[in-house]
Amino acid sequence: MTDLPVGGAAPDASLPATLAPRAGVRAMWRRPSARRYAFGYTLLAPAVLYVGLLVGLPFLFSLYLAMSDASVGEPIARFVGLENFKAALESPTFYVALRNSLVFTIGAGIMKSLLGTTLAFLLVQPFKGRKVVRALIVIPFTLPIAVSVLGWKWMFDSQFSVINWALSQLHLIGGYGSASWPVWLGQPTLALFSVMFVNVWRGFPFGAIVLLAGLTSIPPEIVDAARVDGASFLARFRKVIVPMIAPILFIGAAFDTVFTLSDLSIVYLLTNGGPDGSTEILPTLAYEVGIRAGALGRGAAISLFLFPLLLPAIIILLRTLRRRQY
Amino acid sequence: MATMAMTVSTPRSHRAKEVRRHVLIYLGLVPFLILAVFPIFWMAVTALKQEPDLYRMDVVPFWFHLPPTLKNFNLLFYRTSYGAWIVNTMSISFWVSVITLLTAVPAGYALARLRLPFAENLGIGIFLTYLVPPIILFIPLSRVVSTLNLQDSWWSLVVVYPTFTIPFCTWLLMGFFKTVPFEIEEAAMVDGCGQFGALCRVVLPVSWPGLITAVIFSFTLSMQDFLYSLAFVAFSGQKPVPLGVATELIRGDVYFWGSLMAGALLVGVPVAIIYNLFLDKFITGITGAAIK
Repeated sequence: MTDLPVGGAAPDASLPATLAPRAGVRAMWRRPSARRYAFGYTLLAPAVLYVGLLVGLPFLFSLYLAMSDASVGEPIARFVGLENFKAALESPTFYVALRNSLVFTIGAGIMKSLLGTTLAFLLVQPFKGRKVVRALIVIPFTLPIAVSVLGWKWMFDSQFSVINWALSQLHLIGGYGSASWPVWLGQPTLALFSVMFVNVWRGFPFGAIVLLAGLTSIPPEIVDAARVDGASFLARFRKVIVPMIAPILFIGAAFDTVFTLSDLSIVYLLTNGGPDGSTEILPTLAYEVGIRAGALGRGAAISLFLFPLLLPAIIILLRTLRRRQY
Repeated sequence: MATMAMTVSTPRSHRAKEVRRHVLIYLGLVPFLILAVFPIFWMAVTALKQEPDLYRMDVVPFWFHLPPTLKNFNLLFYRTSYGAWIVNTMSISFWVSVITLLTAVPAGYALARLRLPFAENLGIGIFLTYLVPPIILFIPLSRVVSTLNLQDSWWSLVVVYPTFTIPFCTWLLMGFFKTVPFEIEEAAMVDGCGQFGALCRVVLPVSWPGLITAVIFSFTLSMQDFLYSLAFVAFSGQKPVPLGVATELIRGDVYFWGSLMAGALLVGVPVAIIYNLFLDKFITGITGAAIK
């Protein structure tokens, strides 16, 4: 019996997975039967149709839009081939956005893994108050993203930033108006750092919890066996723990990459791409061109440039999920 | 290693070691706790402060120097459409949950139970659509929304939010239904129920924890959206809370910080609490496939 729970919660873990099969009815489940297939595909149809019509078709439609000169006010679009992609590749703004998207995703990814790993190894220890600590630490991830970004916007205020207040009390920076007073969202490098930091703040609890789920899924006997066999801490970590939690880490990383790369709200609400385009990323650029300026075709082309960047994450996920079957 | 030490040491030194271990762990956790919780604390203090109290850099800003006030909340309810935004958010969540349950429950059941050919691949396929991000879909979907004549209405969000709640909840429910024993259905069918009857009368009643989880995620995942509402709903009275707070409380260069924080937290905190309670199910939902 390989029907282990995949997702969701077991209603009652003590329910037996298999009981003595009642031959007649059981055989009915096993045999291929036209009626059962018809029933099954009928049950599947609504979900498959919904997702097909509103995810599959729009995806194909965006390929079409990207090759047309469609705009908001213009009902009839002309086919323009790869013109929109070429136009994007010829504009310097696009390269800035692409570079920032990559810096943002990779930089934030590294910070999230470091913080998440440290936190997971702290949380995996048994200690008093662990549940409370865990519940508090995941708050950044559970708060609606637009809500928390507004909080950060206030904390990054150019004049009344509470961060600056604390830093100036510690005499790390001068007073308001002095050269060493950081204007978090107003200076190009700092602004990019700030938007990355908010992403890290939101993402590190997720990383920690995923890693924690992986660590707790390792049966202690396996680690103990390796210890008995004389494996050092490092060897146990590299040869036993890491390979065992690798699939779960891949999935967590794939999810995080997709959401980081495609998220618009942090940059849109904090800097709107500014100052002077220094925090422009592909999602904000696609929104500006596609919706604000109404050039649907151009916007669709820009957002499609995200797809090859997302593909590795999706492939990793797909391979991890499929390996489970065999 | 701690357990090894425990067995060989005397009770007293063991106790001392335990205390030291706890102190070290707490010390390690403090920076994380401050990082995670301080922004929320700061938002709450801001929401309750009087306007002049917000803009003082000469005193410790972490606490009140003028008596706390509910004025910021008043402004929300009497000078903006905050009440309408809450109603919109609730209505959107309600209809998204209905659509999600009606589609994801049968799909999850069929994938988990009926041994359909290609069930596994279909399941993975549906789940993968969860990974097609809104940023790729929002432009073509804006055409869909305008074709349906739903632009500037929260109904447009009822149509698009299931694009991510259905894949996620189908996957979640598929795992859930796999844990419901075959035997209870068989018993029902031996007693004369049809397959559909067995599903409705026996499987669904014992699956209510899974159904509630699906409803919770329809709600919390909808609350995480910003892009779709930004792109499709521009009319103030139709906005959901996150969009309304983020767009209507900023007039040009003037930020109503107190009310911004009040409006954000009033909805954000309940969502965070509910999400928090169900977070493990979310993590199992997306990673469970990797644990065997």
